[in-house]
Amino acid sequence: MPRAALIAMLGCLGAVAVNADNVRAAGAPAPADEDGQWSMPSKDYAATRYSGLAGITRQNAGSLHPVWTFSTGVLGGHEGQPLVVGDTMYVVTPWPNVLYAFDLTREGYPLRWKYRPDVSANAIGISCCDAVNRGAFYADGKIIYNLLDGHTVAVEASSGRELWNTQIADVSNGETTTMAPLVVRDRVIVGASGGEFGIYGWVKGLDLKSGRTVWTAHNIGPDSDMLARADTFKAPYDNGVDLGARSWANDSWHTGGAPVWGWISYDPELDLIYYGTGNPSPYNPEQRLGDNKWSASVLARKPQDGTLVWAYQFTPHDNWDYDATGAMILADLTVAGKRIRALVHFDKNGFAYTLDRATGRLLIAAAFAPVTWAKSVDLATGRPVLDPAKQTGASRENVKGICPSLEGGVSPSSPAAYSPRTHLFYTSTNNLCMDYAATHASHLKGTPFVGVTSPYFAGPGGNLGTFMAWDAATGRKVWENKEPYPNWSGALVTAGDVAFYGTLDGWFKSVDARTGKVLSKFKVGSGVVGNPITYRGPDGRQYVAVYAGFGGDWALLSGDVRSDDPADVRPPADFLKDIARHTSQGGIIWIFGL
Amino acid sequence: MTRHPRGVLAPWVLTCLAVASCSRQAAAPSQEAGAPPPAIRYEAHIAAGGIAPPGAALRNPHQGEPAVAKKGALLFTAMNCDGCHGGEGSGWVGPNLADGRWRYGGADAEVFNSIYYGRPKGMPAFGGTLGAEGVWTLVAYLRSLPVPGDVPTESWERP
Repeated sequence: MPRAALIAMLGCLGAVAVNADNVRAAGAPAPADEDGQWSMPSKDYAATRYSGLAGITRQNAGSLHPVWTFSTGVLGGHEGQPLVVGDTMYVVTPWPNVLYAFDLTREGYPLRWKYRPDVSANAIGISCCDAVNRGAFYADGKIIYNLLDGHTVAVEASSGRELWNTQIADVSNGETTTMAPLVVRDRVIVGASGGEFGIYGWVKGLDLKSGRTVWTAHNIGPDSDMLARADTFKAPYDNGVDLGARSWANDSWHTGGAPVWGWISYDPELDLIYYGTGNPSPYNPEQRLGDNKWSASVLARKPQDGTLVWAYQFTPHDNWDYDATGAMILADLTVAGKRIRALVHFDKNGFAYTLDRATGRLLIAAAFAPVTWAKSVDLATGRPVLDPAKQTGASRENVKGICPSLEGGVSPSSPAAYSPRTHLFYTSTNNLCMDYAATHASHLKGTPFVGVTSPYFAGPGGNLGTFMAWDAATGRKVWENKEPYPNWSGALVTAGDVAFYGTLDGWFKSVDARTGKVLSKFKVGSGVVGNPITYRGPDGRQYVAVYAGFGGDWALLSGDVRSDDPADVRPPADFLKDIARHTSQGGIIWIFGL
Repeated sequence: MTRHPRGVLAPWVLTCLAVASCSRQAAAPSQEAGAPPPAIRYEAHIAAGGIAPPGAALRNPHQGEPAVAKKGALLFTAMNCDGCHGGEGSGWVGPNLADGRWRYGGADAEVFNSIYYGRPKGMPAFGGTLGAEGVWTLVAYLRSLPVPGDVPTESWERP
């Protein structure tokens, strides 16, 4: 991009909380043991979405073309990503959560089997924002994933036979299950959505063999419910007991939300899992005065028994629906000359965070998208420096000009990728701001517990999204591709130094990971809200797969994109007027090759 | 089928009557000997999604009362209806209720039933919480919403 534009754009960001010159990423080599599979939602435990495959390069990516497509038969937001294990590709659809197993060794990739669980339709209306699923995990010969109606299933990968089916969540209480599970040894870690329904958020550890629930750990509430003990739990910036209860006025933690609807990562050396929690409920912050710990936070736990080890809150007393459920990417960086086992997180609140993942201590926080709710993040206290004029609440009526919007500087649905070759993180972003008029919300079991009207508008520049490369060791943007619409796909980066992403108006692009230059693009039939993956096929060649299937929040906001219900006709969203000109709903799996 | 003289009946009464009518029809003498009785003999007897059995329509006792409609607007927010259907019923995860189009029918009785008994895909049954009076209050509000002219065409070309 032109240098002048880059400088202008950086000027908008403001708020870089560290002198970035003394921070740089360590040059971790590409893994020599790349097996060419994609067996976990985020590729590896570190959630890098980086593949060591290098068959597709910056030189030859221009000739990428579709080699296969398949309709999932489901219209809905196709978030998440396929898995490739051995010579089989596994695909989970949005509700009704069909699981397909494709034989990649045969022409046309026919199905080996498909699995059709009985999933309650009631869950559709209890999921806040489209009936999405964020993918499956392969372990121990099993495909493990969540059904929308609060069940986790294990399906035999070879046969499609259901091995176990455990109810983990209660739809009648506002809980649904859209997140991608993580398996560590014999534990399956799962969580529930429901930050818009006033749930009492939790994660659970199930037994991999039987599906039995071994432990339940709440994300808010008293220490006993949170599995926080004085001898094992150390928050880097807080002291005291029952922080998850005492930071909520009038015991409002009972209905305080803090759902888990994104991704979980794992560090085998520290034996810690990391996940983010969603917004506190309701959206009207005056009904839950206090910090509302540990909503909008990252929590580190022991996978075996759920023991809480540390927690850090990105957005204390969240006033703006800034869920922290986005990916926690584990990378080793050198910060101020010191090698750090880092955790990098792009938050809905517009800041990119670099933490020490052993302790939760904050190293860097820099705005990656336009931010007005806070000026910066104080590294000494770990707390944001707030703009008092952007605090919300029913008594403040309509608060104008808050950036980012509650769609986030990036959606947690759109996980970033990290390349140890370029030392850069790659992520979609949204360039949206909002006004926020909070109102009193009443809690009725199984109905929305929200209390806000929040119209959106474009941020500086007018483009509604970008795909960009971020240097987490300097807290700076390296390049960005402006996109006309909010960008809602996850990122993929490879050892060929090619990054991949999709757009809301239905383009799938490969770009030079060093410059952002578009190498190939193809119109895939529907907006992309899923995450591309890559794998080595049985023929030894490298392929890239992605879903096309407009949805997620956009299914609600851009009602004119829908064509499936003649009894529900909506005008275009005023901030996204012509998206329906370029896309409609879909449910298509694409595979690209050279 | 016998015509039942009906006024405004509680919904459960209506349901009982419909069931009684069907079972009587199934035992009709014109049935061929030995053939299993059809589960539904006449399509006109299917109420849900088809043609309602003849009889007096269920009417909103508060039809056209602006004060009740206003109360219904408060109830629409207080019961979190707007959380799914959007402010003023403009549509969110649940369908638009202000576009003049209805998945399960837009007559008083049909809207009443949708709220009282719930619908598939997550519409809760509010009858137990609100009672018939509360549900009619909501129906009065929804029916008071201004319905835009139905424009089935969305065009991006300048004429």
